Amino acid sequence: MKLIKQGAEAKIYRGDFYGRPCILKERFSKSYRQPALDRSLTAQRIKAEVRALFRCRLHGISVPTVYFVDIDSSCIYMEDITDSCTVREYIVQTQKENGDSAISQLKPLAAKIGGIVGKMHGNNILHGDLTTSNMLLRGSPLDLNIVMIDFGLSYFDSLAENKGVDLYVLERALLSTHPNTEELFTTLLEAYKQANKKGAAEVISKLDEVRMRGRKRTMVG
Amino acid sequence: MAEHIANQLYADSSIIMLLYDELENSKEIRKCVIDGVIDASLLKPKLILDKFQVIVAATRAIHNQKHEKMTTKTIHSEILFCLSPSKNISDSYRNFGLGEEDKCILVVIVDDQDNSKLNALQQLIKGRQLPLSDLHSTADTSAIKKIYKIRDEELEVCSLLDAVVTRISSKEIVTL
Repeated sequence: MKLIKQGAEAKIYRGDFYGRPCILKERFSKSYRQPALDRSLTAQRIKAEVRALFRCRLHGISVPTVYFVDIDSSCIYMEDITDSCTVREYIVQTQKENGDSAISQLKPLAAKIGGIVGKMHGNNILHGDLTTSNMLLRGSPLDLNIVMIDFGLSYFDSLAENKGVDLYVLERALLSTHPNTEELFTTLLEAYKQANKKGAAEVISKLDEVRMRGRKRTMVG
Repeated sequence: MAEHIANQLYADSSIIMLLYDELENSKEIRKCVIDGVIDASLLKPKLILDKFQVIVAATRAIHNQKHEKMTTKTIHSEILFCLSPSKNISDSYRNFGLGEEDKCILVVIVDDQDNSKLNALQQLIKGRQLPLSDLHSTADTSAIKKIYKIRDEELEVCSLLDAVVTRISSKEIVTL
């Protein structure tokens, strides 16, 4: 197993699991936390991540296959999505190569993403960290075969408020990493409405509220 | 012709698998295992799609054994239990274990340093051995879908094997 990335919560290794390409996500312990609390938090988060991956699958959202979960050493072994690039890389490249026409080319992708997020929210799965780096395009990017990854911050919830925040995070991530993509987010929201017919109106009105105040709720009084 | 698979997570144990059809003495083999004369997991190939499915369950079982977290008494019954989506041990046996009249068998053996378990079994089994790649033809996909509760919506985004593997690896964490 070779270390490929280290984040604030976990180390990511790449290797193989009985002949299949595999990603190992190891959550490390935080020395500043009280040890018993640290173990409990880490175990809870691993379980939440595995549950979210499972629920997504059940509802027809493409995610990596989980091969093995070791709660004792805080590891998840899962499928490595080979032959893929992140949505982020794809948007950057398309904008670089196509200039002004890039936005219209990227619209089907935005619609696809909106559809997936709408389906997730419709089933009360909140990703918690919707960025263009946490979406992979498997195979040719034109096939729009999107695989969602990194459910480390995900949770289940039916509140429109939290879904609004999830969308807000995505909007900020999109607009801050990719300039001039406001139009793409509009396309994304349209598809979101189609995929989450029941809840979309309320979520989008919450999104407007969140846009006014930011991600954190103001706690006054 | 038995296939030995080195365990990646626990280098000291390896997994051996043997597939037979035209089995004549399933009753006798079952009895030997139940009496503890022979140490192995006897599985119904009907519910096994690929050797990878067994590897994932066996890895889970070996892990549980090393961490003293086994639900069942022996490593070989633990493999059967890990393979099954049910948390009920006797259900798991009924569904995945060899039946008295079965004509087809997949044997799984772990922790067999000197091949003694393997030799004992090979002498006992009266049947025609098949390569593990034949699991694809002995498997009954509609029975597998039913027992693991896999719906078509899920199969739009992954293979049947991936759906099964996710269930085995997430069994302890996810309740359906």
